[in-house]
Amino acid sequence: MNLPDVIHWLTHTPVNSIVMGYRWVWPISESLHFCGLAMMVGTVGLFDLRLLGLAKGIAPAALHYSLRVGIAGFAISVITGSLFIFGQPDQYFYNDAFKLKVVALTLLGINVLAFYTLEARRVLRLGPEDEAPVRAKWIAAISLSLLTLIMLFGRMLTFYRP
Amino acid sequence: MLTSLLVWLEETPLSVWIREYPSVLGFPFILFLHTLGLAMLAAISVGIDVWLLRQHVIGRALRMTGVIRVMWLGLGINALSGLALLIAYPAKALTNPVFYLKLLLVVLGVYAAQRINREVFPRGLAVTGAVTVATKRWAMLSIVVWAGAVVTGRLLAYTQSVLFAYELL
Repeated sequence: MNLPDVIHWLTHTPVNSIVMGYRWVWPISESLHFCGLAMMVGTVGLFDLRLLGLAKGIAPAALHYSLRVGIAGFAISVITGSLFIFGQPDQYFYNDAFKLKVVALTLLGINVLAFYTLEARRVLRLGPEDEAPVRAKWIAAISLSLLTLIMLFGRMLTFYRP
Repeated sequence: MLTSLLVWLEETPLSVWIREYPSVLGFPFILFLHTLGLAMLAAISVGIDVWLLRQHVIGRALRMTGVIRVMWLGLGINALSGLALLIAYPAKALTNPVFYLKLLLVVLGVYAAQRINREVFPRGLAVTGAVTVATKRWAMLSIVVWAGAVVTGRLLAYTQSVLFAYELL
C-alpha cells in the first residue's frame, strides 16, 4: 500500500465523513488540540524547569505526579491530531512541516525513554533542595527544545500546505 | 470613522509587511511566537495550578523567581505578537466579539496567575504553611480561564465576519 492508497483509504473512512461533514468538528478539535498542548507543555515544561534549577524547593517527585495531566493532554492532542489527518490526509503527508513535527515528536519520545531508562530513579529520589544530575539537566533542556520545535512546526503547517 | 481608521491601519507598510511577507519568518513566525508565549504563560501557569491543587502544605521555601520570570516573558511575547497579528488584520479581530471575550479571559488568567504568585510565592519565595482553599479555588479558576482563552483564541479563526475593513464600507 503506497502513500496515495493510504490517503485514498483515509478519505473514504467514516471518520473523514464526520470530520469534514460537520462544520464544528474541526474548530472544536483544534481547540482541544491546543488545550492538550497546554496541559502537556505546562506540566512537562515545569518539570523540566525544575530539573534545570528553576523552582528549587519542590521535590521533582511532587511535580512528576502532575505529568499524568501532561499525558492526558498528549493523548487529547494525538486523538485530535489524528482527526485532522483523517480529515485532510494530503495536507499532512505531503507537508514538510508535518514531517518535521513527526520527527520532533519521535525524538521527544526517545528523550522520554532516555529519562526513564537513565535518570528517573535518581531524579525521583531527589529532595526539594537537591540539584538534578547533569545528564538529567541535558534531558530536560532537550525536552524543552523539542517541545518548542513541535510548536514551531505545528504553526508552520499552514505555510507549507501543499 | 472607526472603519476609516481600520482601512488606514491595514494599508500601513507594517500591516502589509506582516500579512504579505513571503517568508516563513513573517506571519507564520509571529503565529509561532504567539503559541510560544501561550506555552510560557498559560501552560506554565496551568502546570503550577495542577501542582498546587495536590498540595496540602508548602513546607520549604520555594525559589520560583525563575519560573515567574518565564511566565512574564511569555506575557511580553504574547502581547507583542498579538499586537502584530492585530495590526495585520485589525478589522478581522476588532469586529469579532470572540476577540473581546479572549482578551477578557487573558486578563482574568493573568490576574489569577498574579494573585497565586503573590499569595503563594511572594517575591519568588513560598509562604510556608497550608495551601488554603481560597488558593486552590484560584488555581481551579485559573485552569478554567486559560482553557477558555485557548479555545476562544482558536475559534477566532472560524468566527470572523469580515477579513478586511473595506468589506465594512
